Formats: sequence, structure tokens, C-alpha cells
Amino acid sequence: MLTSFVSDYVRYVLAGGTKFYAWMGSLGVLILGMLYVFYLQNTDGLIVTGMTSQIHDGLYFANLVFLVGVAAGAVTIVFPAYAYHHEGMHKVAVLGEMLAITAVIMVMMFVFAHMGRPDRLWHMVPPWGIYSFSSMLGWDVMVLNGYLILNIVCGFYYLWCKYTGNPINKKWFMPVVWIAIVWALSIHTVTAFLISTMPSRPMWHHSMMPIRFITTAFAAGPALIILIFLIIRKNTKFWVDDSAIKLLTTIVTWCLGLAIFLTLSEVVVELYARTEHANGLYYLMFGLHGLTKLVPWFWSAVLLMVGAFILFLIPSFRNDFTKLPIPCVMAFAGIWIEKGMGLIVPGFIPSPIGEVTEYYPSFVEVLMTLGIWAFGFFILTILLKGAIGILLGEIKFGDRQAVAAAAK
Amino acid sequence: MIHSKLSAAVSAKENTSERQLQPVSADPAQAVLKTTRRDFLKTGGMLSLSSLMGTAALMTQSDDAHAAVEWAEHFQKNYRLMTDQEKAESRARLEKRYSSEYGKQVTVDTTDAQPGVLMGYALNIRKCIGCRRCVHACVAENNQSRGTKRAGEKIEWIQVLRMERGKFDAGKMNQGYPEGLGIQVGGNAYTPAGQILEGQYHYNPEKVPEDDANYMPIACMQCEKPPCVKVCPVRTTYREPDGVVVIDYNWCIGCRMCMGACPYWARRLNVTNPVLPKEEMNPVTHYLGNRPRMRGVVEKCHWCLQRSRHGRYPACVEVCPVGARKFGNLLDPESEVSLILARKNVFRLKADLNTFPKFFYFYD
Amino acid sequence: MKKIATYATILAMCGGALYSVIAAENVAEQPVQVEATKEPVVCFESRKGASEITQQEIKPGWPNVKCSPTTGAALWYGDPFEGTVPMGKMPLLENIPDGHALVKPRTEKLALMPLCSTACHNGVGPQFTPPTLPKDKRPTPIPTMEAMVPDLKNLQHGRDRIWCMDCHHTTKRNMLVDNFGDPVSFDQPQLLCGKCHGDKLRDWRDGIHGKRIGEFTTGGKKRWFTCTECHNPHNVQDGLRNKGFVQLQPEPPPQLAKGMKDAKHELVHPVPH
Repeated sequence: MLTSFVSDYVRYVLAGGTKFYAWMGSLGVLILGMLYVFYLQNTDGLIVTGMTSQIHDGLYFANLVFLVGVAAGAVTIVFPAYAYHHEGMHKVAVLGEMLAITAVIMVMMFVFAHMGRPDRLWHMVPPWGIYSFSSMLGWDVMVLNGYLILNIVCGFYYLWCKYTGNPINKKWFMPVVWIAIVWALSIHTVTAFLISTMPSRPMWHHSMMPIRFITTAFAAGPALIILIFLIIRKNTKFWVDDSAIKLLTTIVTWCLGLAIFLTLSEVVVELYARTEHANGLYYLMFGLHGLTKLVPWFWSAVLLMVGAFILFLIPSFRNDFTKLPIPCVMAFAGIWIEKGMGLIVPGFIPSPIGEVTEYYPSFVEVLMTLGIWAFGFFILTILLKGAIGILLGEIKFGDRQAVAAAAK
Repeated sequence: MIHSKLSAAVSAKENTSERQLQPVSADPAQAVLKTTRRDFLKTGGMLSLSSLMGTAALMTQSDDAHAAVEWAEHFQKNYRLMTDQEKAESRARLEKRYSSEYGKQVTVDTTDAQPGVLMGYALNIRKCIGCRRCVHACVAENNQSRGTKRAGEKIEWIQVLRMERGKFDAGKMNQGYPEGLGIQVGGNAYTPAGQILEGQYHYNPEKVPEDDANYMPIACMQCEKPPCVKVCPVRTTYREPDGVVVIDYNWCIGCRMCMGACPYWARRLNVTNPVLPKEEMNPVTHYLGNRPRMRGVVEKCHWCLQRSRHGRYPACVEVCPVGARKFGNLLDPESEVSLILARKNVFRLKADLNTFPKFFYFYD
Repeated sequence: MKKIATYATILAMCGGALYSVIAAENVAEQPVQVEATKEPVVCFESRKGASEITQQEIKPGWPNVKCSPTTGAALWYGDPFEGTVPMGKMPLLENIPDGHALVKPRTEKLALMPLCSTACHNGVGPQFTPPTLPKDKRPTPIPTMEAMVPDLKNLQHGRDRIWCMDCHHTTKRNMLVDNFGDPVSFDQPQLLCGKCHGDKLRDWRDGIHGKRIGEFTTGGKKRWFTCTECHNPHNVQDGLRNKGFVQLQPEPPPQLAKGMKDAKHELVHPVPH
């Protein structure tokens, strides 16, 4: 039964038209590029990236933080589906779980890209390695892996039941779903703690960091989900209910509003007193020592986020699914900048002892980042396609056998 | 106790046979003095074949053996969890690899913290003239990467900040902000003065000290409560019993959490395979100290463990031309640092962070 | 007349002899080039013009000292005790085990030393019996002397409140002088300097002031740097803010971080106003 599930799944996923293969092929090219630069990084070292001893977390870490948010953002589907029994959401909850799986896998790939010695990552894993309970990174790895497992279990058990036609065993499924919902919050909170528990980096060292992470995650994640849903509606036979998209739009709008509010609060608090601790934010907003490389990024992020928020508030935009992608893309891009480059890099500028340097991401870094995103979309396409196939009933246990029997 | 005897015996044994390199005071042979001949024989007999094998392998130095050594190095344990036997094996492996890589006999010391010693450091901030000799002495001693071709190939553990003394200017008396609305912010408000961490790192005048500058060297503070240790996910960086925060370079995964957590920017990342010319390589090394590092791991100041564990001053202390750097045992009331703490005005950098550095700044 | 002639001759003789020695010393002080492998590499230790050390391999691959190719300063000690002699008895430092307190003799380094008391200031001659030193303690400019030791023209130490004979022995010019008028070796200037700078002497004795190299442990074998190895006694005050040291060339700055073209931004105030 399991083997037939796998073979049916693979068979279904692999079948596709030119468009599908062109899409997967172009992603494949980027993935190959990623593998090459990964090889470079692990022979020549991180010197091929723009990271230095001053600014030692860059694009990779920024994307890692952002994608943890996207992974956590999947809970915006699962929670309404199971807590509020939202009919439209319930239908697509499994797609959210597929997105979460993808995002966590991408996070792990960014971890690999980020490490100086990815060959030694087993040092973190007992019994061969040592697990440190005092390290936030240790906790982060634990919650991320836990979240991955939970989502695989929930998502694929659900699909499995749909595939076989058996009823879902709610006795254990529902508790696991609830754990996964709370766990989603934990992954992003712990990622926020990862950087906010360092007094050495005053830009990050405040208790607002976790809630800022959650709000931006619950804006960027669903924004991406809306986009994916719209694409699915257009390209597959699977129909995502309007009600689901509308609820997601509401969630994006208000989480985005909160995120903007929190950012503004931080700006006021930091710049009113303008202590040395505000240097990072000041660098981000206006530049420091005449170095202003991130300033345009910050202001474009602000424009994108505020612009998206305003557009979301306009009913004609919000309700028109041809125009809805615009604010969604804006919100997604704005948060990617604000939370990625805009949050991580200025944490290192100036350094804890006041040295100001700038971050110049190298081609290798950009290619690696693109490659990992490509890999993410690659997996996501497969997972979503398979899931949709099962949801549509196109992959079903016994179908083939039944058809074969009928032919005889 | 047994352990220290063992390691002493290791030192003793290897000393008699192959170590003739070190100067008297940096020489692990000093440990011999603490071991009687009987101890030596006893523990020496117990001692694994590994160090012998290491010695033998050193002589052959075949490429295959070299590859095997590198391979075994990948699977060794965290240094703290190693048994004495494993330590000896690891040490033999490393000595063999380094010796063949650098074309000279390299020793990797594994001496433990000496009982009754808590190392401390003090720096006379008034004396420092900003000559950066400490920076370069550190590089000469500690086998840092020293390439010049690509940015990031050169690693220095000590940073010297040049800070403007600053002065208040009568010409700015009537300036201020906001203009025309009564002065709320004085015109001199933005004039740098005093010790703030907004220094210059790349100053290069013809002569130092300059009249208008103060200098402030910063390196690892060997905190009693080190934030870097707390954040390490694999516990590869830890505080040794004699107070020095060390790194097992072979266990480091290069996640750089410690670099983020350090409030003193004391840690550096080997962004590439270290550039260390054979002739400049210092062959007297310590496992937790100055042995050559590899790509992708973090390193930092360790108060020259390879010297200080044998009673010798760190390299930076010895070259400071103005005697601003002081080093000693904090548990010894007669030591330099203890006397400085007892007698001078002392401060710790960023004391508000509760890291409790054992590196003190003082002035007289 | 005859007297003057004798004087002139002695002066000329001793001047000439001393000058050649000084010239030799100056040559030795030239910044060392690393390329010159044949030439012995000599680097200066604390300050230029004071103690020096010649680089040599004491064991294969192990030099006694590493010198800076940029400034010629000693950057690393393979053997911290090279060229040292026991410090000798020092008040309040009697507890140090024998042979554990070492100094580098200054006497050898000061090229004028052997001649000072034999050729000129030997206490012999009609002028010196009994010694007739200026009552006002103002130094009389002696052109020969000033030519030999240029620092004398601009004696800053004490800001005009002290003069030569407060530190140098009246008749034994190759010695310094302590509070009782007894001669003090140039190798032990702390006995002289401590006369006024008692607090510094106390700190020096405890290792808080000045510099010691070798073994850090209490009672360990150390080379002590004496006062004049770091400070030039004739112009300690060189300028207002030199912290008691002669200016010297700094070692090169750190490498610029990746992507940074220069460090000019460091000179710009962080926040515009």
C-alpha cells in the first residue's frame, strides 16, 4: 500500500506538460549553480562570499530568518481550519503544511550554506555530537526539525488518508495538529531569540523582536500563500475557495499593519534618545560615517510595506483577485528586505567595538541564495502537485488496480 | 591529578626524544620538573602506543599516512570529552600533519590548566601609544592567517582604536539645534571627546603617539561569564579552569553565534584556508592555543596558552614598548595583576553587560 | 697658556674618539631591511637608541627574536633572556631567587661610557680639585659635549629645575648618583630615578610600572627593563602629550574588510549635524 502510494505519487508528479518541465528545468539550472558555489564555499571557504569577521551573517542568515517566518506563516491556514472550522481553509490546510515543509527544508539549506564547516554539523547531534541546551541555535535546530517532522506527519497522514480513503484517526491527529500550531509559533520565537538574546548587538537586543518576527511572518507567509493559491486556481483544476483567500488577505493586512506599527515604535524609541545603541538603526535609515549602502533598501522596504498596507485596505484591491497579487508581492518583498537585509546586516554595523564596515554580497552568495530558492520552489511544486492530485482524487489507492481489472 | 601527571609524562617523553625546539621558558619540559622519574616511568609505561606511533609516523611521513591522519581527524571527539589516550592520539595525529605541512617539527602541547592559577590581564590605558606592536607580536606567535592578496586572509586578534581626544570649541558657542528656536542642543554636542567606542582602526600616522589621540587596544577579555560560551551550539568553546576561554578548532562548526554574542568583537572567522608561510610558522603550539587552524572555524585570543601554561608571559606583553600590558595570576596576591587591582583605578570594558572580564584597563 | 693647550688637546682627542663611536652607533640604528639576509638583522627593543637585539637562529627554525620589517622593532622573543646579566642587589627585591632578576646592561650600549670618566670627566685637573661646579647649578654650554649628545641642547627633564649633576656623578661621569652622592651604575638607573619618582619606583618594583619579560609567575625568571630602556631621560617630556615616550613609527594597520576601498569614513563623524 505504501509502495503504491509512493509510486502513484511519483508517477503523478512526474507527468507534466512542456510548461511544467520548462519550469522545473530552469529551477534545475539554478540548483546546479547552487551546488557549484556550495563546492566553492567548501573548498576555498567563505571568502568567496561577502561575509567578513565584521559582518559574519549575511544573505544566508537573512533568508534563513525570513523563511522561518514563511514556515511559521503556514499556521495562518491551519489555525483557522482547525480552530474555527473554516470550511475553505480546511480544504487547503494540507497545502499550508506542504509550504511549511518546503520552507523548513530551505531554512536548513541556508543553514548549510551559512556554516563555515557544514561537514561538521553532526557535532550538534547526539549521541555522536553534543547538544547544548544553553544555545539558542541548538534550540532553533531542535524546533525547526520538530516542526518539519510534525508537518510531514500531519500533511502526509492527511494525504495518505485521502489516498486510501480511510477516515482520519482524530484521536491522535488532532493533538498533533494542535502541537504543530503552537510549535509554529515556537520556531519563529526561538529564531527571534537567536538574535535578540545578544546584548552585544543592541540593534537586536529588545523584547519586541519575537512579536515583530511573528507579525512579519504572518504577513509575509500568507502573502506568499495567497500568491500560490491564485496560481493554483489558474493553473490546476483545484479550486481554492474565495473565503480562504479573503481570510488570508485579512490576516496579511492586520499583521502587516502591526509590523509597520512595531517598526515605527522602534524608530521612535531608538531615535528619540539616539544613544550609541541606535547606531545600527541609524545606519539603516540614514547611514553612518557617510556609509549609506542600506539606506535605499530600508526606504524601499518602508514604501513597499506601507504601500501594500494601504492597497490592502482599499476594497477594490482587496477583493479583486486580479489586482490582489500586487500588494501581496509588495508585502512579501518589503518584509523580505526589512527582515532579511534590513534587520540582520545593520546588527553588525557598527561592530560591538564601533568599527563600521559595509556588506557587499558576492555573486556566489546571490547565486547560492537563488539556487536555494529555486530548490525550494522545486520541492514546493512537487509537494503541491502531489497534494493537489490527491485532494482532487486523481491519485487514489486502487484506481490503477481497478482500471486494470476493468480492462480485463 | 592522574591526568596532569599523564600529560606531564607525555610532555616529558616527547621532550626527551624529539623536542629540542622550544626556548627554556616556553618549553613543556618544565613539566618534567614536577614529575619524578618514577612517575614518569610508571605513567610512561601506561601511556598508549599512540604517541610512539605518532613519532614513528613522523619519520615516515608518507602521503597515505597523511591522508589517513586527516581522515581520522574528522571523527575525533570534542577535546573535553576525550580520554587521555584519545588526547594523546589526537595530538600525535596533529603533530604529524603539521610537521609534514610546515616542513619542521611541530609540537602540539596538551598541558592542562595548572592548579591555583586564574589568569588575569591588565592594560595601562594611559600608557598605550598605539604602536600596534602587540597586534603583530600576536600574529607572529599565534599562527594566524597572514595573506595579503584577498580581503579576509589577514587575521589579527588585537584591535587598537585611535580615539580623538576632542576639544570644546568657542566658535560653536552660538550654534545649536534647532536653529532660531532657543538652543536645546549645544553646538559642541557633536564634538567627540573622551572614551567612546567610535574609534579609528586604520590610523597610520608617521609617528605615534599623536597629541590629539588616545589609544585603546581591545582583544578577548576572557570573561568569567562569557556570552560566547553560552551561545555555542556544540560546546566547542568553553572556559578552562585557569580562566581562559578556548576553542577546540576541530569541533567548531563555524556557525559564528559566538562572534555575534561577543560584545568585544574578539573573535575572527577563518574565511579561507589560512595563509601561513612555512618559515613564519611557530612550531611550538598548544592544542587549545596557537596550533594552525583550518578554513571555516572561529579563533580568538587565548592569552598564549602555549606560553602561559608554562609560566611564560603572552607575546603581546613581552613586546609592548611602554610596558602597558600586564599579566599574571589573579589568585596570587603578589602578582602584577593582583597588585594593580589592589592599587590602581581599574575598569572593565562594558561592565554593564555583566560579562565579568578578566582583562582590566587601568590608569595611573 | 700651556694649560689651555693641554685642555684643548684632551677635548679634541676625546671629542674625536667619542664622535666616531657615536657615528658607529647611528649606523647600527638604521631601520633593518629583511631582504638583507646576509647582513645581521638588528632590531630595537623598546625605543630607538636604547637596547637592541641581533636576530639569529638559536635552534633550527627558532630565532631569538623576530623583527618588524616595517619599523625594525622587536616583535617577538624566542629567547627573552639573551644578553642579560643579573640585576644585582636591589632594595626591597631581595626575595627574588638568585638569577631570576635579569637586566640587559645599558653600559655596553652607551658608547660614550668607557671614555667619559677616563678621558674628560675623570675628576683630575686643576678645575676639579676641589670641584668647582657652577653655584647656580645652571649648566654651562660646552659645544663639544652638545655636539656629542644633542639631547643636551634641549634638556627638558625637570623643566629647568634640575641640572646635569643632579643625575650624573660629579667626578665619576660613567656613573649616576644616588641621594647620598654615591655612584650608581647606568645598569641600575632606577636607583637614581626613584629619588624623585618614588611612586613609579614602587610600581616598577611590583611590576606594575615598566616592563618585564620571561616568566610571569612571582619569583619566576624575568628580564626587567630599566627606566632608560623605555624613557629617554633627557627629554621624557617631548611635547605635552607623548605619555613619556619618544614618538615612533607604528606598525601597519589591519587589512581593510572585504569591499571597503579605504578607511576614510573613519575620519567622518558618525552622525551628520
